Amino acid sequence: MVNLAIQTNLDTSGSYLPIGLQLLFAAGMIVTLMGVTHLLGPKRRTADKLQNFASGIESHGEARQPIAIKYFLTAILFVLFDVEVIFFYPYAVNFRELGWSGFYAVLLFVAFFLCGFIYIIRRGALKWED
Amino acid sequence: MPINYYITLALCLFAIGVVGVLTRRNAIIVFMCIELMLNSVNLLLVAFSKMHHLAKGAAATAGTDGQLFVFFIMVVAAAEVSVGLAIIVMMYRNVHSININFLNRLKH
Amino acid sequence: MNAVLLSGLLGVVMMFASFLFRTKAPVRILAILGMAVLLVANVLDTKGIHFFHVNTTGFLSFTGYALFFNTIVIACTLIFFLISSKDMQKVGNHYAEYFALIFFILTGIFLVTAFTNLLILFIGIEIISIPLYILTGSAKKDLKSNEAALKYFLMGAFSTGVMLMGIALIYGATGTFDITKMNIAGLLKSNLLTAGMLMLLFSMCFKVSIAPFHFWTPDVYDGAPNVFTSFMATIVKVGIFVGFLHLFYTAFDAIALQWKIWMAVLAALTLLVGNITAVFQQSVKRMLAYSSISQAGFMLFALVAMNETAHEGLLLYAIAYCLATIGVFGIISKMTDYSFDGFNGLAGHQPLVALCVAIFMLSLAGIPLSAGFLAKFYMLKAVIQAGGYMWLVIFGVLMAAVSAYYYFRVIQAMYFKEGPNHFSGISAFEKCVLVGICVLIVFTGLFPNIIFGWMYF
Repeated sequence: MVNLAIQTNLDTSGSYLPIGLQLLFAAGMIVTLMGVTHLLGPKRRTADKLQNFASGIESHGEARQPIAIKYFLTAILFVLFDVEVIFFYPYAVNFRELGWSGFYAVLLFVAFFLCGFIYIIRRGALKWED
Repeated sequence: MPINYYITLALCLFAIGVVGVLTRRNAIIVFMCIELMLNSVNLLLVAFSKMHHLAKGAAATAGTDGQLFVFFIMVVAAAEVSVGLAIIVMMYRNVHSININFLNRLKH
Repeated sequence: MNAVLLSGLLGVVMMFASFLFRTKAPVRILAILGMAVLLVANVLDTKGIHFFHVNTTGFLSFTGYALFFNTIVIACTLIFFLISSKDMQKVGNHYAEYFALIFFILTGIFLVTAFTNLLILFIGIEIISIPLYILTGSAKKDLKSNEAALKYFLMGAFSTGVMLMGIALIYGATGTFDITKMNIAGLLKSNLLTAGMLMLLFSMCFKVSIAPFHFWTPDVYDGAPNVFTSFMATIVKVGIFVGFLHLFYTAFDAIALQWKIWMAVLAALTLLVGNITAVFQQSVKRMLAYSSISQAGFMLFALVAMNETAHEGLLLYAIAYCLATIGVFGIISKMTDYSFDGFNGLAGHQPLVALCVAIFMLSLAGIPLSAGFLAKFYMLKAVIQAGGYMWLVIFGVLMAAVSAYYYFRVIQAMYFKEGPNHFSGISAFEKCVLVGICVLIVFTGLFPNIIFGWMYF
């Protein structure tokens, strides 16, 4: 049977103590490190030093360039196919109980999935070079 | 923790999302607010699923359907994101803006 | 189950048809054949011959009503293909994909009409909505189409969020998504349940464009390519309506006192807003968008009445409204000017087409002997039978009279005014289809019992 519930008991507020400590420690660590480097580090401010470092070459242009649409399309398709994998989690948990019928259902799912994948490849959506 | 806290938190997130959708003018930010609404629902569903699981006399599988629902919401939200972003990019290519105040060509 | 799986598979087939065929004609023929196969498969399903044996207990239940409604939806889509599939070529280059998306939308409609689990309702609505966003924006270079797509997408996603919140609250109150096992009578005082139910109500109103949640409808219907406006204003709308009725009839009947008055007020408001605004429109396409809002108001009568007559009435309404609107849009997508003036003198240039438009308009206005009259009659009868909402019935009749004004304006323009020809031509086959739709409308208006005979055979 399907059983995804987590069995730990979350109802006591005392069990949040380690998380609180962790948060406190992390924040303290950051503040300390930043403060120490700020205090101890040597400072020499010149115009050259404040420039962006580009391996000695004069920097030119903006850092925020528009990104090619090709990249956008790949990113969107990645999101779409990536999230579908979520359905394997419940299947993996109940792999034995579901038996062959569950296996066929997952195969059907993957088949539909592959249809979409073959479609985008045939359409040329993943072609990187023109 | 009592379920009320979870309900309050989820409703707060949901309300932030709704207000964002109604007041912001940038299509991407409106879109993010919608995602916030969906995620507040996810949070609430998981909390309810846990509540029904811990209820007295509940079956061993009680509450699992809520968690399964969350999976479906995530997948559908991803599908919606891909279509929605594609629409926003198409719009941007044509008018070079994603401000939804420009959406008045249809009002005669 | 036949139709659900087959339409999904046909959608995938249509997707790959874009690689298989170089020209457009075979794609169109394949789509029409596929739709015919779907129709046969669904009728066989009604007769008890199932192609696929899938255990859907607790998720889907294909009642006779749902199956019969699916038959209507498939038949209307077939007619839509026959009359408008050529005009889809004008929209863009992805001809086969448009058919694929329409097949996927049909899958969603079949799920929404037969669900017994809120999960399936949600998935069905999303399977309907997401392809529709794409179809709305399918004219990529057309700014109006882009804008309509973005607007529809943002509004649709927002209402999905509201619907999900409603489902989550109902789950919190009842502990199940199964609408047959909710045991709502035991939870009369639950705030969670009431809030969830109201949110579901609002979001469903959003999807079928009930006032005050209708504001996206005119813009989206106006901006979308004509052929797809035709599809989403008719088939999709009645599909979601059946799901709406099924949801409230099955799940929330026990707390009917809490929402019935809301439903009646919404119906009256929708009729008022839709009809009054439609009167002032200059474009026939936009007028039809507002008329679709006012027709939705009439369909909402089914949810006020909640009895057998209401179920039958919704079926009749689906037939009458879909046929007439698909016919009118089929003609509009062949016109170069959609304004009322564009119809001037059409009777002189194209007598047969003008006659068909006149019959469609008369049916939409609800003139006796047409299917539209019978549909409105059934809706009013259902509310009278349910009792207690006499004011709504009177208001409905009044608003039907107002609606006659703008429908008759088109007829007047065609027959009593002179103007240049804005009609770009129509093939003999499409003329036959138009005449066929007219015959169906009159036939349904004269012999509704035959339709119900098919339903209860």
